[in-house]
Formats: sequence, structure tokens, C-alpha cells
Amino acid sequence: MILPFAVDNLFLPGKAWKLSDDFAIKTEDLTKAYRSFWGRRKVLALNKLNVVIKKGEIFGLLGPNGSGKTTTLKLLLGLIFPTAGRAYILGKPTDDVAVKNRVGFLPEESCFYRFLNADETLDFYGQLFRIPRKERKLRIDRLLKRVGLEFARKRPLKQYSKGMLRRIGIAQALINDPDLIILDEPTSGLDPIGTKETKDLIVELKAQGKTVLLCSHLLSDVQDICDRVAIIDKGELQISGTIGELLSSKDIVELLIRNLSKETIGEVEMFIQEKQGEVVSIKNPSGTLEDLFLKIVHERRETGWDKSEMSD
Amino acid sequence: MQQILVIAKQTFKEAVRNKILFIFIILGLITICGSVFMPVVGDGREKIKIVESMCFRSITFFGTLAAVLLSASSIPTDIENKVLSTVTAKPVQRINIIFGKILGFVYIIGVLLLIMGSVSYVLIRVTALKESSQGGRGLLAREKFDPVDLQIAGDSARKIGNVSWIGGGKEAAVWKFKGLYSKDKNDDLEIEANFLIEAKKKSIGKIPVKVKIINPSSARVLTESMEISRNKPLFFKLNSKSLDGSGELTVVVSPENPDDFLGIRSDSLRLFWGEKSFGCNYLKGLIVISTQFFLMVIIAVLGSTFLSLPVNILFCLFVFFCGNITDFMRDLSTVINIIETREHDHGVSAVMQKSNIFLIYLNHIIKKPILLLSYILPDFRYFSVGKYFIDGINIPGIKILMGFGYAVLYTLFCLPISFFVFKRKEIA
Repeated sequence: MILPFAVDNLFLPGKAWKLSDDFAIKTEDLTKAYRSFWGRRKVLALNKLNVVIKKGEIFGLLGPNGSGKTTTLKLLLGLIFPTAGRAYILGKPTDDVAVKNRVGFLPEESCFYRFLNADETLDFYGQLFRIPRKERKLRIDRLLKRVGLEFARKRPLKQYSKGMLRRIGIAQALINDPDLIILDEPTSGLDPIGTKETKDLIVELKAQGKTVLLCSHLLSDVQDICDRVAIIDKGELQISGTIGELLSSKDIVELLIRNLSKETIGEVEMFIQEKQGEVVSIKNPSGTLEDLFLKIVHERRETGWDKSEMSD
Repeated sequence: MQQILVIAKQTFKEAVRNKILFIFIILGLITICGSVFMPVVGDGREKIKIVESMCFRSITFFGTLAAVLLSASSIPTDIENKVLSTVTAKPVQRINIIFGKILGFVYIIGVLLLIMGSVSYVLIRVTALKESSQGGRGLLAREKFDPVDLQIAGDSARKIGNVSWIGGGKEAAVWKFKGLYSKDKNDDLEIEANFLIEAKKKSIGKIPVKVKIINPSSARVLTESMEISRNKPLFFKLNSKSLDGSGELTVVVSPENPDDFLGIRSDSLRLFWGEKSFGCNYLKGLIVISTQFFLMVIIAVLGSTFLSLPVNILFCLFVFFCGNITDFMRDLSTVINIIETREHDHGVSAVMQKSNIFLIYLNHIIKKPILLLSYILPDFRYFSVGKYFIDGINIPGIKILMGFGYAVLYTLFCLPISFFVFKRKEIA
């Protein structure tokens, strides 16, 4: 397959990985096929995914609905089991329960015990991490303040709005002060202020040296904060790399020149034409992640290639 | 261990805050208190029996229902609501989730038993006090002794099913008791006889019988003539001095009239000696019932690891229903066997016999599976204690031990399967 854009070498499928301990997540031909009740293969949700996420970066995992993003996260967290391939979190296989002490997870839907209040919810998850009582209380206070839920800490979660549930979800993902935070649609349901605060929080986590794996449909959010992204569709990795690499156009040269007069610009333009070059624009070419995302998905759909979806 | 306790506490809190536990308790208490208003025909003891019976049935019914519905629904609901995905994403071994849930249900059942059991106890005590003041027999927890041997003396006794019929002047039923012991030696021995009767004159509801009580060690014989009524047990008391401290007794019963017949079963004669504390007996009853609830929790948790919520509830109710009729299931299997045998019993040689396809199907599709089920499914007869209270009998320690041992064995069988299945379960 010829990829239309620059590709980070780390993500080439089938590449032999150089083992190192500076990765937070690594998958090797990670495959997941869901089976029917009778054990027959129903759908290939993830097909030989090879991804390495380095420690200390914010990584965005993008894809349309049903592309295999959430399946990837569930496989990484050991909620479901791979049909083939392997995955490692912080250097440990995903079935190692102890490594979860260093992982925080925000699921796509904020699913908590609705009869508990915010305090009790965080206390429950804190106890699962065996955090001592005093430390737990300190962390709960700090996190509730950080996500702006101090005012509703004694209110049962069933009375929370979707945005508030998202905030408590983020708080519970951070209760153990994790090294790796996996966030599935963290800004879903949040108002613009909440979205900004969440993005700031993610950047702040990165500044603290933590790794963030982020799944989102809100491409502008991903573009704003992610160091690197990967786009998957129908269970297969389509493209990945840094935002800069992915959004730049290789056949267009961009010169950033300061303090150039109009005359000089004209001369430069003429010089380029003399050298058989074509001046497209004197402005920097720019694209959005959204354009890229839609292009990738659209191209894939147009080819009608449907290999990954296998039926009985 | 801390994680198990946290999950258990959470499970309990869920049942309390969702008010499900209180619904069961309130419904149970309504039924328990309603037993006082049940119409009763008979003496004061009958009233106490009704109250005791209703109380134990209510506790068993609502306790089982709570155990089944709560424990069968907890894991499937948590998976459906995706709460379990946040829990399993934490450093929690899945085995701890199972243990935590079970412990949580044990808390729940404990609270239910404590509340319903306390109210029932007070109600039974008050009823007994009221009936005793009116001259009725109060609360009983008599020590029961089973015969070590039953022999039918005489040649012409007919046996139909488990009933032996003995005729007057020809046969006699001989029960032998050993190891009779009571702390209070001054207590009288109480003998209760429940016989079927067949008199020549059908209109007569009573037949005369001769009862001989023999002390084998001293060879002392006491002979009494009594009358046995149809459908009414015969009670008579015996001075404990007639035992001479030997702890052995032989009771011989035979109809006096040659035309009368007595139908005898092994449990037709029961001997009681000594009274135990009712409170202690009541507590023992609750312990046995709680063991049954625990077993139901284990089964429901097992089902919840691989079945959906409605299917699991149906599965648990099916197990509970069948577990209470294992005898019937085995009998049904025997009945089919008898029909099958009779069908072929026409004096025709086996070669000439034509196979009855219906019976072959009946054998393979119904009989064998039913028989197999009756052995695989838990036998809840081990936990049935209501009869002890109705009859005013002290629950023997062996009954508690057997119930407990059976529950432990069944748990040891079910729990590893639950762990195995849940460990491989995908929490999508």
C-alpha cells in the first residue's frame, strides 16, 4: 500500500520492533476478531495493529465509528483478549494486573455507580488502588477541585449532567496518579470551557512527564494537543506520525522569511519562475487534521475494499 | 483482601441504596406478621405451629428470592452498565471481584436474616406466651430418637410401597431404640405413633392395639392396651425410670382384633426425650437456612459469569425449584421405569417383543436426563428445617453439619468454574 503522506517509521505495519524501555505502549500485530455465539468469526475488529507510543507524549488515536479504537483500548487494558498478536503497557504484557497500578482509564461512557456521590466514587476507586485513607482524601479533594466538582461532591451521580459525569470520570482516571492515562473521548459532552480545561489538563499531565493516549472524534482537539496521531479504519492502521509531518505537503516548499519587501518578494517570485518553479501562494500552505481524516476514510470507502469485515 | 472488602461493601451499599433489600424485608415482614391472623382449627399448639411455619416459609422464600435476584443480576448489570469495565481496568484480580460480590451478598443475606429472624422470633415467643397462658402447649424443641431397627414379626405381612400391613393376632411391629439419653433424667419419654389403619368395619374410626414396652437389659415388660384413631397420632408417655439407665428400649405394637390391620412405616413411631432450648433451636434453624441462601448465591454468581440477566434468573429459579423436588424427580424416573417394565411384561419372549418407540424415547429423552439432573442439581432437602419446628423437634447437630458440608462441597465445585469462566470473560 502506498501511503500518500509522510509516515512515522515507528508505525509501518510488520516492522520488526527494536525493544526498548522508553515506550509506554507497544502492540505487535494486535488482532481482535469477535466471534458469534457458535464460535464462528463474525467481524475482524482489529487487524495486525502495530503501534508504539513513547513515554511522555500525547498520542491521538483517530478513526470513524467502528474503526477499532475502543477495541484497541480494551485490549490494552485487558478487558478483552486478543485473537492474535501481543500488546505491552509500560513494558509489561496487558494481562499483568500489577501494571494497572500505573494506568488511568476514562471509558467512552461515564459508567459509574449512580447511587454514589463524587466523594464516594473516587474513594471506591482509590481503595481499589490500595491508596491509604489520608492520601486518598487529599487526592480526592485536589482532583475534585481540579475538575471543578467541589460544589457537587455530595450529590449522587444520578443527578449529574453528562458533562459533570465526564469530569468525575477524568478525576477517577487520575486518582492513582498514573504514568499512563488512557482517555476515550475525554471532551465528549463537555461545554467549550470544560473542553478547554480538559485540554489544558492533558497538556499539564504531559508536562508532568505522563503519557496520554487519547481517542477522540473532535479532531481540532486532537490537533491542538497531540504530539503524534494514528488513524485507523476498519481495524487497520492507515497512517500515523507527528501532526506536523502528516499535515505538511511534500511537493510544496515553504519559506518563512521575515522582513521581506514587496519588491524583493516579486524578485524571488520571478527567480523561481526562471528556475521552472511555480509559485502557488506566498502564504504558508495549511491543512487541518479534519481534512486529512476525512480524506483517508473517504479514499478507503471509495475503493470499496472490505477485506477486514469478514462474515460467516 | 482489601479489594474484596471494598467490592463487598460496594455491593451491599448498592442493594441498600437501590432499596431492593428493604423491599424484600418489608414484604417478608408483612407475611410474617400476617401469620398471626391466620385462622386456626385446633388447640394453642396448632396456632404456634402455623406462626412458626409461616415465619420460616417467609424467611426462606424472601431470603431465597433476594439471594437469587440480587446475586444473579449484579455482575450482568455491572457489565451492561459498563461499570465493570472501569473496575477491571484497575489493578483488581477478577477472582477478587467474584469473592467481593459473594461477600457482599453474604452481608445482604445476613441483614435480611437478622431483621426477619428477630421479628419472627419475637412473634413466635409472643404467640407461644399467649397460647400457654390459655393452657396450650408452648414452644417445643424436643430431642428426637430414631429407632435403630424395625422388624415385622410374623410371616404374612404384606408390603405395599414403603408400608407394611400387619394383621391382628398374627403379626407385630417391633422397634428397637438404643442410646437413649437425656440430661434431665426426670423427664418422661414421649412416644408418638402415626399408623395407617384398616378396620373390618369401615365405619369404625378406631382400632384397639396392644403396645408392649420392653427394657432389654432388665427384661421388664410393660403392656398397655390403647386405641388408635384414623388420621390422628397416638401419644403416650413413659416414665424414664423404666429405662433403668440402660438407654435401650423395644416397643412392640400389634392390633388386637384379627380383622384389623395396621399400616407401618419406619418412621411411624417416634420417641422424644428431653427438651432443648427453643431459642437455641431457632438459631440452628436460621443457620441451616442461611447455608441454603449462601448456596443459592454461589449458584447465581456462577450463572452470572456466563448467562445474561433474565436467563440467569430463570436458571437460578429452575435450580431452586428442582433442588426442592429431587425426590419427586427420582420417583418420576422410577415411575417411568415401572411403566416400561410393565409394558414388556406380558409373558411374551423378549425376541417376540416389539420395541415401543415411545418408551425408548421416554427413556432417553426424559428419564435419564431427569435422573441425571436430580443428582447434579443441589439437593435442598439438606436445608429444610420447617418440619422440625412444626413437629417441635430439636434440630440435631448432624443436620447442621450435613447441610454445611453439602454447601461447602457444592461451593468447591461451583467456585472454580466461576473463576475460570469469569477470568476469560470479555468485558466489552
